Amino acid sequence: MARLRGNLQGHEGEFDIGVVTGASDGDIGIPNGTVLMEFADAAIGDDEDRLNMARANVVTEIGEKACVDAAGVIATFNAIDRVADSTGIPLEDWKEESTEDFREELGIEKFRELHLE
Amino acid sequence: MEQKYYANAPLPVRDDLAECHARALKRLSSAGTWYTGAERLMIAAESRNAKKCLYCAEQKEALSPNALKGEHDSSNELSKPTIEVIHRIVTDTSRLTPSWLEKIYEQGVTDAEYVEIIGVVTTTISLDTFARTIGIEDLTLPLPVEGEPSRIRPASATNNMSWVPTVDVSKATPEELGLYDQVNKNNVRRALSLVTAEAAGFFNLVDHQYLDGAQIHNVEYEANARAISRAQIELLSSRVSALNQCYY
Repeated sequence: MARLRGNLQGHEGEFDIGVVTGASDGDIGIPNGTVLMEFADAAIGDDEDRLNMARANVVTEIGEKACVDAAGVIATFNAIDRVADSTGIPLEDWKEESTEDFREELGIEKFRELHLE
Repeated sequence: MEQKYYANAPLPVRDDLAECHARALKRLSSAGTWYTGAERLMIAAESRNAKKCLYCAEQKEALSPNALKGEHDSSNELSKPTIEVIHRIVTDTSRLTPSWLEKIYEQGVTDAEYVEIIGVVTTTISLDTFARTIGIEDLTLPLPVEGEPSRIRPASATNNMSWVPTVDVSKATPEELGLYDQVNKNNVRRALSLVTAEAAGFFNLVDHQYLDGAQIHNVEYEANARAISRAQIELLSSRVSALNQCYY
């Protein structure tokens, strides 16, 4: 999320990153953002028809190569999240500081509480 | 001759991605640091079984995963604590705690074995997620490669950061490090470093599927070989992490 915000700060336009965690509704403002988010949701979920539809929409709107590259990112984070969660690694100080203003607001802070006894 | 993967896939998979997945499958089937190739393949296969485990499904729905007593659905020779580790990483990793891990250690799984299991399970999850997401069946796990585990434990590994010991590359020997490096200062790059071969292998996958580790902190970096923009890449990564309830 820190890198997403960092990247968007270099772009013109209005972006609502609260959409990523469900803290707000609507369009994030990134080209093809809605279709890509639905692709991620379908890939992490277990509804095959939904995934087939989401994949077809990505192919139609952005192309086959984009669909494969998106699948690579989804596959990475479905795994690396588990590396972080199963080893209990802490956030880096710089990341803690740079995301402090939105972690609570976007509901990310509650994810850390899941690891408490 | 190395097998070429995705030749018949419905979507065009980049060559570097297919090659990196071939390396990942070879790594899964070869002796690691603490497990043989056959044992690693059993761990990988169990990662796939876990998705169908009824006890895991009940645990996932429970307010607390410790509220239930039961047995995981499994039919292989792995020990019970090993199966518990695999299933929890696959199905409920966001609710793991240090005390759960202590109980795993008390049942005989060492910290280094635990880290190697994480590497094998998450590699399998990554390969399987990719396959399903592009619309194909899981890749067939290869046959095991003969060989003995290296049993290299970096002497400089310390409990200085997370639930498991990690390595500072400046204090480790070349033999301990192998192909592992800390190409950037992200803590997650260090997370598996108690088993350096596993860390190196897993992050090779990350470099090809996501972004080259050396470029990650440059938020304006656009990978020329990718057909989606950096903003789209980070949108996907953030969305998946939110769905997985990952605090990191």
